[in-house]
Formats: sequence, C-alpha cells, structure tokens
Amino acid sequence: MADNKNTVLSARGLSVQYAAENPTLTDINLDIAAGEIVGLTGSSGSGKSTLAYALLGLTRRGAQVTGGKIDFDGHDLLALSDEELERVRGRDIALIVQNPRSALHPMYQVGRQISRVYQAHKDSGRTEAQQRAIEMLRLVGINDPERRSDAFVHELSGGMAQRVLIALALSTNPKLLIADEPTSGLDVTVQAQFLDTMWETSRETGTAMVLVTQEPGILANYCDRVIELDAGHVAKDVSASAFISASTKRSTQSPSAVERERQNHEPLLRVEGLRKTFPLRGTKKVVQAVDDVSLSLFAGESVGLVGESGSGKSTVGRCLLKLLEADAGKITFDGQDLAAIGGHTLRKLRQRIQIVQQDPYDSFDPRWSIEKSLLDPLVIHKIASPAEARGVIEESLSRVSVEFSVLSRRPRDLSAGVLQRIAIARALLMKPDFLVLDEPTSMLAPQDRHVILDVLKRLRTELGLSYLLISHDLTSVASACDRVVVMYLGQVVEVGPTVDIFEKPIHPYTKALIGAHLEENPETRRVERLDRVDLEGEIPSPIDLPVGCYLATRCAHATDACHKERQSLSPFSSHHDVRCMRVGQFELDEAS
Amino acid sequence: MSNTGNRDESAAFGVLAWIGVGIVSCAVFLAIFSPWLIPYDPTQATENVSMPPPPLSAWPSLFWQTIANGSPTPHWFGTDASGLDVFSRTIEATRTDLIIALSANIVSVIIGVSLGVISGYFRNIWTETLLRTADLLQSFPVFITAMILVALAGRSWVNIVLAMSLLYAPIYLRLTRTEVLALRERSFIEAARALGKTELGIARHHILPNAIGPSLIQFSVTIGFAILLTAGLSFVGAGVRPPTPEWGSMIATGATQLVLGDWWPSLFPGIAISVTVFGFAVCGHVLEKRYGR
Repeated sequence: MADNKNTVLSARGLSVQYAAENPTLTDINLDIAAGEIVGLTGSSGSGKSTLAYALLGLTRRGAQVTGGKIDFDGHDLLALSDEELERVRGRDIALIVQNPRSALHPMYQVGRQISRVYQAHKDSGRTEAQQRAIEMLRLVGINDPERRSDAFVHELSGGMAQRVLIALALSTNPKLLIADEPTSGLDVTVQAQFLDTMWETSRETGTAMVLVTQEPGILANYCDRVIELDAGHVAKDVSASAFISASTKRSTQSPSAVERERQNHEPLLRVEGLRKTFPLRGTKKVVQAVDDVSLSLFAGESVGLVGESGSGKSTVGRCLLKLLEADAGKITFDGQDLAAIGGHTLRKLRQRIQIVQQDPYDSFDPRWSIEKSLLDPLVIHKIASPAEARGVIEESLSRVSVEFSVLSRRPRDLSAGVLQRIAIARALLMKPDFLVLDEPTSMLAPQDRHVILDVLKRLRTELGLSYLLISHDLTSVASACDRVVVMYLGQVVEVGPTVDIFEKPIHPYTKALIGAHLEENPETRRVERLDRVDLEGEIPSPIDLPVGCYLATRCAHATDACHKERQSLSPFSSHHDVRCMRVGQFELDEAS
Repeated sequence: MSNTGNRDESAAFGVLAWIGVGIVSCAVFLAIFSPWLIPYDPTQATENVSMPPPPLSAWPSLFWQTIANGSPTPHWFGTDASGLDVFSRTIEATRTDLIIALSANIVSVIIGVSLGVISGYFRNIWTETLLRTADLLQSFPVFITAMILVALAGRSWVNIVLAMSLLYAPIYLRLTRTEVLALRERSFIEAARALGKTELGIARHHILPNAIGPSLIQFSVTIGFAILLTAGLSFVGAGVRPPTPEWGSMIATGATQLVLGDWWPSLFPGIAISVTVFGFAVCGHVLEKRYGR
C-alpha cells in the first residue's frame, strides 16, 4: 500500500491473546504511511482497541502478544525493553483516549502538563517547553493560550479539555498518533470541532493517525484509508471512499400522503407553549428544560426532534405521555387535553401513545423474562386472553424481526440491538397511534442502528404509525423522518420538511448543527467544505438564560437587538418556521 | 498472576462460607429438634448440684456406656447451682434465642421494607416525618433503649420481640429506601407507567422485588446482633424469665458461681452465643459478596 520509505509503522503477523482464550488478534499485517489518517473499525469485540494498544507495545491486563513484530522507525517495538519503549511512547507515538477529563491530571495546570512531557522527551529547557506548550495550545485553536495554560482541567469545558489533549499528544511532534474512540459521547458540534482540530493539526505537523471508531460518518469525513477488523482478522484494508460506497445511502421519501392528511384534518397531536422547569435542590433557581415549545404532528407523519444534549428534547417527549407534568402549555392528543385527564382515563389514553427509551437494558425489569415483560401489558389492559396472548406477542415480535426464542431469555442475555427491537415490539402490543422514540439508537452500534431505522420505516408503511424520533444523530433523522424540529436550549428554533432543513437550513444554529453532521459520504467531506459554520464558545447554562436570543452570544450575525429581544417562531415559508428576527439579513452581513 | 490470586482468595472464601452455612444449619437443626436431643428436662432440677462436667478423656467411654449398657446419661456440661443440666439447657436455649431473634427480624423486615418502599416512592411531609422518627430511634443506644422498652412493657418474649423489631426496622427502612430512590429513576419503571400499570402495581411488581435484596442480606447479619441483644437483655435481667433456658440468663446465673471456680455453667452457653453469632455474620458476609454490589 504505502511506499517503503514513507512507512511509519508496519506490523507483520501480529497476534494477541488473552490467557486461555481464543486469540483476540491473529496474524495482523498493516502499514501506516507518514501523514496518513487510517480509520480502524469493526464491530464491538472485533479487537480494534486491542490492536490500537498493541501498536504502542501495550496490552491490557491478562493479554499477551504471542507473535509477530511491529516495525516502527527502524526498531521492532515488541523487542524493545520497557525503558526504551517509554522513550518512544509519547515522543514518537502518542495516544488520545476516550475521556479527556480523566486523562489529564487534575492537580497540575494544563500548560505545565504539556511542557513536562515535552521536557521529558526532548531534553529541552523549561522556558522553551513553556513556550512550546503555549504554541501548541494556540495551534489547537484555544483563545488566549497564555492564560489558558495556567488553567486546571476543572476550569475547562469538555471540548476545550479535548483540545488540550490533542496539544499534549502532538507537542513532541510524534510520527504517529493513535486515537481510541476520541469522540464517543460528545455532541455533534463538539465532535466536529474536535475532529477538525485533530485533522488540521495532523496535516500541519505531518503526523500519521490511527483513528479507532465505529462511526461511518467519521470514517467517511476524516480518514484516507479504512481497516476493518472482524473477529481478530483484517477483513478489509481499502480507501475510505471504497469502504463507504459499499455501505448505505441516505433516503428521502415523498411526503405526499401526509400532505393530503395535513390539509384535511386536525393534527393528531398538538403542543402549544409547553414549558417545563426543574427546581435546583437547595436554591431558589430552576433549570429551564423546555421553554415555549409548540409543535404539531399529523396522523401517519414522522417527525424528528433534534438538538444537542441539554436542549430539552427528552423532556418534551416525556411530557407528551404525561410521564412528566408540564408547568405550562397545552398538549392535545386526538382532541383530548392531556392536562385534564388522569387515573384510568390517562392509562387508557397511554395505550395510544407509547414510548421507546434510550437504554434498552434499563427499560426492562432485569428480573423478568422477556415473555413476562411482554405479557404484563396485555394482562393490564385485558387486550388478550391468556390463550391468545402468545399469538399477539409473536405477531408483535415478527413485526420487528425478532425470533420467538428470546421469550424465555432475560434482558441481560440479549444484545442491545435485539433488546431495543423488543422494546419497540412491547410498545406495539398496545396498538398505538403514536410512538415517542427517545434516542432509540444512541446506545447501539451503527449496524444495529440501521436495523432499528429500517424497522421504523417499515412500521410506518405497514401500520400507518406516526412517531416522534428524538435523536442527536442527524443521519437517523434524515433517513426516517418527514419533518424535523430543531431545538436549542429548550426552544424550537426551526421546523421544516427534512429536505429543507438538511439542504437549506435558515437559522444559524441549524446551519451549525447540519454543518457538523458527518454524512456518510466521502464525496462531501467536511474538512474539504469551505462554507463551514461554527458556533463560538459554549452553550449557556440553562439556569441563567440570556434575555434575548439564546444563541446571540455565539452567533456571528447577532446585533444589539438580538441580545435584548425575545424572539418568536415565525413562518418563513409554508411549513417552514424559524425563530430568528434576522432571517434573510445574513447575506447583508456577508456582503459587508 | 492476577487470576491465580483471585482463585486462592475465592477458595479461602469458600471454606469460610461453608463454615458459616454449617454453623447456621446446626443452630437451626438444634432449635427444631431439641426436645428429642436433650437427655434431661431443661427446667427440672436434678439432685446433682454444681456437678462439674466429666473430663474430655472420659467422654468416649461414657458415651459408649450410655448407648450400650443403658446407664444414666452423664451431665456432659455439668450441672448448675440449682442442679439443672447445662447441656440440655444450652441446646434448648438455641430454640429460645433463635425464635426471638428470627421473629424480631421478620417483623422488622416487614415493617422496615414496606415503610421503605412507601417513603422512597412518595416523598411528602409524612414520609419525611417517618424518616426523622427513624433517625431518632437509631440515635439511641440499642441496648439501653431495648432495656427501657422491655422494662416498661413487661418481661415477656412477645415484648422483647416487639422492642427489638422497633429498633431494627429503621435499618431496613433506610436500606430499602435507598434502593427505591435509585429504582424510581430507572427506565423500566417509566416504561411500566407508559404501559398502563398502576402505581400500586409498579410498587408491588417492580419496585419491591428489586429493592428487597440488600435487606435480605442485612437480615442474616442482624439476626446475629439480635441473638446477642436477646442474651444481653436476659443477662441484665430484662429478658425472658428464668427458668426458661436462654443463653444470656444462663451466663448470668452461672456468673455468681464463677468466683467459686464453677466455670461450666457460664462457659458453654457463652461458646454457643459466640459460635452462632459468628455463623450468621459469616453468612451475611457471604450473601453480600455474592449478591450485593
């Protein structure tokens, strides 16, 4: 693959084994060229993390390298003594781990941590090392690096801590950087910023990178080459574009049927001015989770609710089932006001509105078998006699393509993907008209994600089910929803048809969010796009919200009025609403 | 390295576990079958007063004579100052102490767990008051409070059981409430609610079975304490009335003879208490390791 002169690291016949088990890695051969970004992927348990660590000459507790060699810079890493290895690690090969806060020392200033590593590896003086630290912090895009270098980890935001980690890893100009799922659990905009910085910095310094990830979006947008592992073997070693074109594509559907429904009928669900706050313990302050949310949903329609963590999406979802009591606002389902009912009537109504939760393992009683968990709702609502029950359950399970043998199992014996489909089947037992899906795919591997989305799309066509898909994963929403609602800090900032939102976003926040979306398409790589819209700074605290537009402090188009006046959601075109007083004026900014 | 280390640890742990289970089973066996095992009526004095136990070396031959020749059973543990057979009384006392400790614990688990579920599930002024009351109860020294309660209510085993239940219930209340507070936030509780289950149904079918684990582990540990407390109360004269055989009161009556050199009326019930409490404590520990977090 790579030319011999340019090869930074090559592994030959590498095998790693945990005591008395099947080998985790068998006979791995790979080369990494200088300046190359290699994506290392594979399903969980395929050995990708083990391989990433083995490339550093590290094994986890109980594991052992049983064969092969790793040629790095003229040395066999596996033959080096611990002392020699220590010198190579950190200087020539750097590692970025998952959780940036726990990777940095809490009691030292971040700048000092960088300069110490530099001093240790480069035999430099103290002042030189300090300057280097500041220079690195500037390189990774930290404002005012002189001051920030004196900060402790707890004084930095998550996104900033991550950038410090890149600065730390790259300060010694390593030839190779290994990043083990560096963005798992991050919001899309932070993820994109982080990966951009990593990408740009590595391009600038010529560092080769191994990026361990399961996300096709990251592979498509940032990697040159992809190595896929399967059960400890290299299954694929191809260019990123070849790897992605082999997987799936985004689909858009015609909303014609829904269009007709819209014109003739009242919406199935209507939410007006929903507001929900949570009191902060020990203070008089409140957390504003949902602030003035209005939306409507028609029968047969699928709506996506997107936004970053803390935007109040889940709270909206729970209010729709009255699992949370709203502070203000009106929720009407099929003409019935949710606030007015309770007790038996509410339980009856909830048959028609069901929810699928985020963590499938948590959404089943761990002590109950799947059969018992599925039987219980049938008994409660007397939907089926004990004799018929089995048939009803089996019908529901086959709708989500799950085998009947799961019935005797316990939740912990099943995989997250299967369990989440059973959770959907459980909701379907009630024959609901409307389903709230609260981040149903966020705990799942990408492959399982696709299965869930396929199931949802099928249910929509087969049963005419309408659903609200709450997700921070824009790919899921793009492929499974007719309309998208974008939330920021408890407010709806933009509502519109999926195609419009993704292709012609209006609101600056939506633009940033869509821009941060890593499409699984190597043709439109984020790093090569010029029109990137990034937001400055951090999300304001939902405890002390700004008076005017919540985005004003981060928005490039903000004026004085934006900071002072509360904005309202106003129609931009038919079916497309935006909460921004400066709609249509941004071009003026760009021209001036 | 680490693997072998773990195995050694678990093997040693296994031996300890078996000892604990063995002691507890023995105690339960003796408590159930004591009437058929004891050679003398534990409340009927014999004419042999303050008779020392036969030396250990003579036990096998004495045992053989009893079985083969039908000669009268010797007083294995000697007799006390009133002429009561210490062996028979020590065995019979297992029943008294175990019944009191068990019933006190069962009553306090029932009270504590149900109040724990209620106070974890509904958080209002009443459950807050309940919790503060429990705190208040726990802030007094257990032994003194038990003594006063029994003294006020009168010395009967029912009163002892009630006093101890009152004192132990807060332990189970706290344990259960902590579990319930964590469970309330779990998704499957919300899922059950969305599926139309009533609050009572959720509490009975989901909360209670999932919250009771730590209490059952605590149960075994607390039984040991309860035995100790029962014996202690009897020792100071606030427990079951003599001549009902009970370890604590046996030690107390034997204690006066101790200065005369008669060690046996106190020693044997003393050993019985220590071994039984140890056995229950080990069982509690084992259960906690295996099923607790």
